[in-house]
Amino acid sequence: MHAHIKQRIESIISNLDQLPSIPDVASKVLTMATDPDVSFKQVAEEIAKDQAITTNILKLCNSAYFSKGKEITSIDRALVTLGLKEVKDVVVVAATKAILNKTIIGYDLAKGELWRHGLAVGILSKKIAQQKNRKDIADIVFTGGIIHDIGKTVLAIYVQNTYKDILDTVRKNGIPFQQAEKEIMGYDHQEIGERVLAKWKFPEVLKAIVQFHHQPDRAPGEFKPYTSIVHIANTICLMAGIGIGSDGLYHELNDAAITTIKLTDQDLETFYAEIPEMMHQAKELI
Amino acid sequence: MSELISIGVAQIGVSSNPAVLRTILGSCIGICIYERNKKMGGLAHILLPNQLGKGIPEKYADTAIPLLVKQLLQQGCRKEFMSAKIAGGATMFRFQGSHSLGQIGERNISETKKILEQEGIPLLEEDTGGNVGRVIDFFLEDGRLKIKAAGEERIYYKV
Repeated sequence: MHAHIKQRIESIISNLDQLPSIPDVASKVLTMATDPDVSFKQVAEEIAKDQAITTNILKLCNSAYFSKGKEITSIDRALVTLGLKEVKDVVVVAATKAILNKTIIGYDLAKGELWRHGLAVGILSKKIAQQKNRKDIADIVFTGGIIHDIGKTVLAIYVQNTYKDILDTVRKNGIPFQQAEKEIMGYDHQEIGERVLAKWKFPEVLKAIVQFHHQPDRAPGEFKPYTSIVHIANTICLMAGIGIGSDGLYHELNDAAITTIKLTDQDLETFYAEIPEMMHQAKELI
Repeated sequence: MSELISIGVAQIGVSSNPAVLRTILGSCIGICIYERNKKMGGLAHILLPNQLGKGIPEKYADTAIPLLVKQLLQQGCRKEFMSAKIAGGATMFRFQGSHSLGQIGERNISETKKILEQEGIPLLEEDTGGNVGRVIDFFLEDGRLKIKAAGEERIYYKV
């Protein structure tokens, strides 16, 4: 354990100003979407407050991935045509790209790789939910998938300083990378990510996805299906090399997650095999 | 400055000196074929060993490798001057249970070798297996292959 590194990380997470920020509109729309009484008008008004993001949202609504065929020229039309859950997903894409689309030293991710990875995991998570009778949570695992590695943006510099020790611990003790992060630095990227989401006032379910994406069976019972889906999507995307960094495949595929979602070997292989088509469909979002 | 060309999952790229072909690999395999006489080469990034059902041929070792060779031949390359290097085929560190997904890296490695042999292209170097991700750069200047994995760099020169 590097005590001084642990202290520095502690000082960062105790000072909210030092953690990444997200446009207000994202937190507001995420919360509104959980309120059954919210009206489209209220959501449209909230989005309209942020002019820059509105332009971007309209562009995304007309991209191949989100479009339903009809051209969308206003937020009102977007809500009617795509629905609130889908528009919420668009808001998440628009609001998180700037935070994730950068070089992540330490984890050795070139500029754009963490964004590509988050997007791939989000899209695959949504697809798994839709195909395995969990359409009801497809929008939430999409968001969770996009931001699951947000903690890496904060921890990167400390991983760079301790990488050799982390990797030695992985190999010597036969433990996954994120467990070695915790042994060496006192924290892993899942916990740090959870703190970032707490700052953003994101719902509990998203905090659970970020905190347990490598250990889905440790999440509170009601959140297990969510953490399991994102866990599996993350594994498949890493195997396909999307967003694979210095932590490589030093991770674990959790059996309980596969059982929870009732996936067969054939399902897993098909999701893996369809990654190229999936990325192609989402290329405008990258 | 040499031109850097990024090759995505299930893509094939063919170019010539001084281009550099780059790809990022997990369980996939990067197959790098170099034609030393013309200083041309190509990289195929395959995802799976065999084409069973639908899908583009670039995705599978058994269809992508013949396609890559064909593209090189169309550019005037000759088979007797071709040689191959391969990288990738990593597996997840820990798999509970025995999911076939866990064996994809291994299956990719063995099928790739088999198809290269069928095509009559000698495999000179391999950097495969383990649990690491790999960023590979294939320099068409001289056919060398640079591999960055788990914070280390290795270079393979044989052509």
